[in-house]
Order: sequence, then structure tokens, then C-alpha cells
Amino acid sequence: MTEGLQSARRGAIDPHLSIRHYDADADLMLLHFGPQHPSTHGVFRMDLYLDGEVIVKATPFLGYLHRGVEKLCEKLTYVQQTPVVDKNDYVSPMINEQALNMAFEKLLKLEVPRRARWLRTLLAELQRLASHLLWLGTFTLDLGGALGGGSTLFLHCFRERELILDLFEELTGSRFHYNTHTIGGNRHDLPAGLAAKVEVALAAIAARLGEYEDLSLGHAIFQARTKGVGTLDSDLALELGITGPILRASGVDHDLRRDAPYHAYDELTVNVATEHAGDCFARASVRFAEMRESIRLCRAVLEGLPEGPIAASKAVRLPTAVKIASGQVYVGIEGPRGEIGTFVIAGGDTPTTPYRLKIRAPSMHALAAIPYVMPGATLSDAVAILGSLDPIMGEVDR
Amino acid sequence: MAVSDTRRVLPVVRDESALPYEHPLYRSLLGVPGLSVATAVLDQLLEWGARNSLWVFPMATSCCGIELMSAAASRVDLDRMGTIVRATPRQADVMVIAGTITTKMAPRVKALWDQMPEPKWAVAMGSCAISGDFYRNLYPVVPGIDTILPVDVYIPGCPPNPEALMHGLLRLQEKIKARTGAPAPRDPVLAAAQLAAAIAVSSNDRSDEPVGEEQELLVQAPDEVPFTEIASDYDTILREQFAVGEFPADGAPIIPAARHHELARTLRASGYRQLVYIVATHCKAKALGKTSPERYEVAYGLRSLGKGSNVASWRVQLEPGASVPSLVGLFAGADFQEREQFDLVGVRFDGHPDLRRIMLADDYEGHPLHKDFPADAPCAPWR
Repeated sequence: MTEGLQSARRGAIDPHLSIRHYDADADLMLLHFGPQHPSTHGVFRMDLYLDGEVIVKATPFLGYLHRGVEKLCEKLTYVQQTPVVDKNDYVSPMINEQALNMAFEKLLKLEVPRRARWLRTLLAELQRLASHLLWLGTFTLDLGGALGGGSTLFLHCFRERELILDLFEELTGSRFHYNTHTIGGNRHDLPAGLAAKVEVALAAIAARLGEYEDLSLGHAIFQARTKGVGTLDSDLALELGITGPILRASGVDHDLRRDAPYHAYDELTVNVATEHAGDCFARASVRFAEMRESIRLCRAVLEGLPEGPIAASKAVRLPTAVKIASGQVYVGIEGPRGEIGTFVIAGGDTPTTPYRLKIRAPSMHALAAIPYVMPGATLSDAVAILGSLDPIMGEVDR
Repeated sequence: MAVSDTRRVLPVVRDESALPYEHPLYRSLLGVPGLSVATAVLDQLLEWGARNSLWVFPMATSCCGIELMSAAASRVDLDRMGTIVRATPRQADVMVIAGTITTKMAPRVKALWDQMPEPKWAVAMGSCAISGDFYRNLYPVVPGIDTILPVDVYIPGCPPNPEALMHGLLRLQEKIKARTGAPAPRDPVLAAAQLAAAIAVSSNDRSDEPVGEEQELLVQAPDEVPFTEIASDYDTILREQFAVGEFPADGAPIIPAARHHELARTLRASGYRQLVYIVATHCKAKALGKTSPERYEVAYGLRSLGKGSNVASWRVQLEPGASVPSLVGLFAGADFQEREQFDLVGVRFDGHPDLRRIMLADDYEGHPLHKDFPADAPCAPWR
């Protein structure tokens, strides 16, 4: 069925085979993992066929959080969509908003002012940092009691994440769902004194990151749980459409911030971290390097933040203030989990609403790896692998 | 497709556990002279214990779940009031429903609630758990968890701050002390009728025209938006190997379904190795083009890697009932994408090894992103 250029792993595993095909005599146990399980990061379910403790076959099931976002977006006008997409990848709402509004701006051929582009870069990098901190906290929690009671790093990472949420709250008035990006710019400019607070928060996080690295990457038990577990080679990762840190951990040097620059990334230098092992440990190392890089980029943005307006036109208030006659566009940007994109078809019944809007969710592609990486791992590895893929079900199911 | 066809009718399960809990021996023991005085003290002792060690079962489905985690983490620290998070319903006293509950998830929530030992309490955290938030009119979302189980405390917000959650739990403690039970769950049939009435009113109210002084600057796209997203190497492939001369102005080039698999293979061999998107659209007659008939359009995007990364995109147009060759053989990632488009839009992919629903339940009828499927079609009654 598969044609040429296939990775060895994909040749060996066919996820669509019936379980009877594997070993008719084997005494396999079927374990429903999820949809409500603390390690599934939301409401994800997979069926694991176990031979003793070893996984023979894994089948993912999605849709437990399917909320009909794309149908809702067809009903709402362009201006009204931003708060809806906030709730998709709810760990990085800022980047969701940017991916959406950049697609509309591209359709409108709207030039975003330079300060707004730099401000968006700052928000995106802070959000990436917050998202990776949350990943680190929950990942080590998944790995369990071995790491200082399991919740040590969880508590530490949430303490640091709160620093960033405080900054966002001061900027936008909301801790979580910001609605700060709009078509043609941003709604909220940095208030006086916030830049200094960002510096303080960055310094606090930078100072503690080394300690966290020792507690996780440098920890013998962490290494034993992650090294050589859930190996994903670069060919398979590309075939699955996997992007972001997971792809880079498999040795593919690809980052949209550097390769197809948007915002202010063409004026900044982005160092892209890659690893070659493709296992859980490599994915963790890449995310650590990205946190350091985000801190560096935030500082660079604060240094070079230009003056000027933060929106292309007068702030858009009316829901019907934006009209697009026709056109079709896709914009993808680099989120914490990979390429998060928006595909829009404009026109149709009314010029103020899209005819079709599709959100490209990087986590959905990451979960497609499960049938390939799980077989051969043990049940306790399943939790580590799932944690290292860092799926957010809000954007997978939409 | 009539509205009634698209609504999946689920059996209504009545909740018998809505009444306040009473031990079977309680009534007979009340008859023993003097014992009620002793049991009153015992009751108070049990209440004191219950309200000061509220163990939470996190029914965390989405964003509110992250705030629930924040509340349990270092800054707010719910442990201070004896509240710890237990991941199993059998050890928990309070179920905090944090996030949107979909019709696919709702039976699981009910099953978990039934597994919790008495006495138990429920907290609806956030707008989605309370009312379904802005998803409430949509096909997959339960408009309020209180149609499934009795809710003691509602915490509004999207999502509520950790402090708000803490306030809610303090109110629950007061409630336990005062021994006020939760109201019985809302009748799902009645709630559905109320929601339908509310939708009817709000859709009459909607006016898309700006009024009076509120008229403000309109941001308007130029009429002709030329499609410029074609990199030079992709342009060469299209012109030389696929004889595409004129590119349409309103979107990606249109490729006949018979040659689209070949195009994907050619592109993969020339460096476009990453599948970015597969998007199917149902276009009504005369939509997106004045003379066009009813059709499905499937748009594909592949990305090249490294410096100057770009997306090569094309479209395939299908008559209703036709199908398009699957790309699963070329890109393993197409598996989920094609299943999603089949599930939501209704396009069939030839050669897909396992084309079944992915988002909605297997026995769901209809395809929600089909243009004839109503936008305001709450799934009702729900369980």
C-alpha cells in the first residue's frame, strides 16, 4: 500500500491491521487508556494491546473534545473569531490569535506596523516559554514519583509560569484568553513599566532554568525513563507531517521562524536547536534549548522595540467592519508544538464571514505517531512518550 | 437535509442520585430514644471532617483544567484547605467539572460521577461547564453539565481564576455545613426547548448592518486578490508536467482528480516532504463563483523544508458523490486528516485503509460542515 521513500519503521508497522493479525494465540490484554486519565493531557483515549507489560499495538481515538469550532467560525464575522481560537491550543492562546489574524491580514493585503510586529514577537516568545514550562511541569509529573516526589518540578514550573501570566494579565486584563490581537495590529500596547517587569521575570526564569535542567535532563532516573524511549526517525516524522520540537528532535533542521520569517524574525537571528536521537530525551533537550532561545529573543525584542502605532488602522470595533470579497489563503507560523496554521476561504454568502475556516493543529499530527512509536515500549513508557509529544486536545479536536 | 435529521436523539437517563444521601439505617435509628442527640453530634463531626478534607476529582477536559492545575500548584495551593487532587473517582468527594463537555464525553462523565462514593458534591467550573459557553448552540456540546448531574456550586469565568475556584470551594464548605443539597439536574428535554427558544430570539435580533454614528472605518479587501503563493520550482512542475497554463485568481491551481496523486508524488520527490493540510469544503451551487454548480473542493498543501520554506498547494474539485484518491500511501499523516474531512464534510477518499469517523461518534448521522447542516443545531436531548 505504501509507496517508496518509506521509513523502515513505517514499513514494519501497519496501524490498520486487525489485532488478530498480530498473533492469534497470544494472550493479549486490551487496556483502554483514557479518555479521563491524568496523563492523557486532556481527553485523549488510546486502546493498548498488551503482552505482559509490553505494548503490541496502540490505536488512538480522538474527538472527546470536538466542539465544532470550524462550524462556529463560519457563523462569526472575521472580527469575532479571535476569542474563539484562543480556546483551541489553550496553552498558547497568543500564537493561535496570531496565526488566525495573520491569515486575514494576508487576504486583506494589510501591512502591520513595525511596532506591532515586534510586540507580537515578544508575546509569541513569552507564550512559548510559558507553554514549554507547563510542558516540563506536567511531563515530569507524568514520569512520576522517581523525580523528587513527582510534583517538585511541577510546582516549580507553575511558579515561573505564573510570572509570565502576570505580565499578560497586566497587558491584556486576562490571565488566560487574551483577545489582544486584531486584524491589522494589536489592541494593547505595553503599559509604562511593563518592559522592566518582563526583564525581571526573564531574569528569574533564566536563573532557575539551569536548576531545572539538572533536576530533569541531568537526573539519572529521568535519563533511564526517556533515553531510547519512543524513538521517531526523521523520515517517519516528515511523513506524518510532524512539526516543531518533535521534528527537530528527530534531526530535521526546520523552523518557520528562521526559514519563512514573519513578525520581526527576519530582523532577528533565530538559533534553531536540533537533536538526532529522536527519543523522549531528545525532545526534552530541544524544548530546553528553545526556552533559552526564547529568553534571548525576548531580551533582543525589548532592546530593539521600535516606537510607533500598534495597529494599521483605527481599532476595529464593529463586528462587520472587515469585508473580504473573495480569496483563499493559508498561513502557518511556528507555535510551541509546531506549525499552527489557518486556512481560510473568503467570499460565499456574506463578505463579513469566512466560507470555510480550517485550523491546522500540530498536535493532531503528533498524535498520528502513536501507532508507530508505541509498539515495543512498556506501559510505563506509554505515559512518557505521550508526555513528550505534548498534545493539547483542544487544538486536536477543535 | 431537515433539521430534525441532523439531531442525534440520545436516550435520556434520569439521575436518581439527585436526592440528598441518606443511609438505609438512618430512619430506623432516629426512632431510638435519645439516639438522635448523639447522632447530631456525630453528624456535625462528619460534616466537619468532610468539609475540611474535600478531595477533588479533576474532570478536566480543556482550558479550565489548566487553571485547576494552577490552583493546585505553588501560588494558590489548594492543599492549604485540605483539598488535594485525586485522579480516581473512588477516592474523591468533589467532582470539579473544568471544561467543555461534549456529547461524546458526557456518558463518561456520568459513569465517573456514578463511581464516586456518597456523600459527593459537584462543582461546575467555567462557562462551558455551566452553560456550554459560545459552543452551546453547536452540534457536539452539552449546554450545561447540570443536565447530567446535580451541581452544587457554579463558578463563572472563562476560565475562572484560581482564586475564584478557591472561593467556590469555600462556598461549598459553607454549603456542607448548612446541609443544603444540590437541586436535581435540569430536565434535558425542557432545557433543549429553552435553548431552542433562545436561539430563535437571538437569530431574530441579529442585524449585520452598522447603525447611526457607530458606522466606522471599514477594512475592505481589494476586489481582485491575486493568488501569488506559487514558488518558482512548483510553478515549473505545474507548467511543464501538468500543463497548467492559467492560474485561477481566487485560489490554488485546480488539478483533475485523476492526476492529483501523481502531482503529490512528484512534489514529494522534489523536496515538498511535509504534509501541511487537507481541507475539504462543501460549496453550494453559485457559491464562490456565480455560475458554479454544487461541488466539493479539496485543498492540499505540502511544505518544503529548510531556508525559504514554502507551501505548494492545489485543489481538486468533485461533484457530489464523487471521491478523491487518498494520499495515505504517500504521507502517513494523511490518515487522520482524511478521516477528519470525511467525518465533518463528507468527502470520500479512495484507497484510505480505514475511512471511518474520527471526531464524532461512530453512529452519528450527517456531516456538520456540510453547508446544509444548520449552524444552530444543538444536540438534544442529550444524556
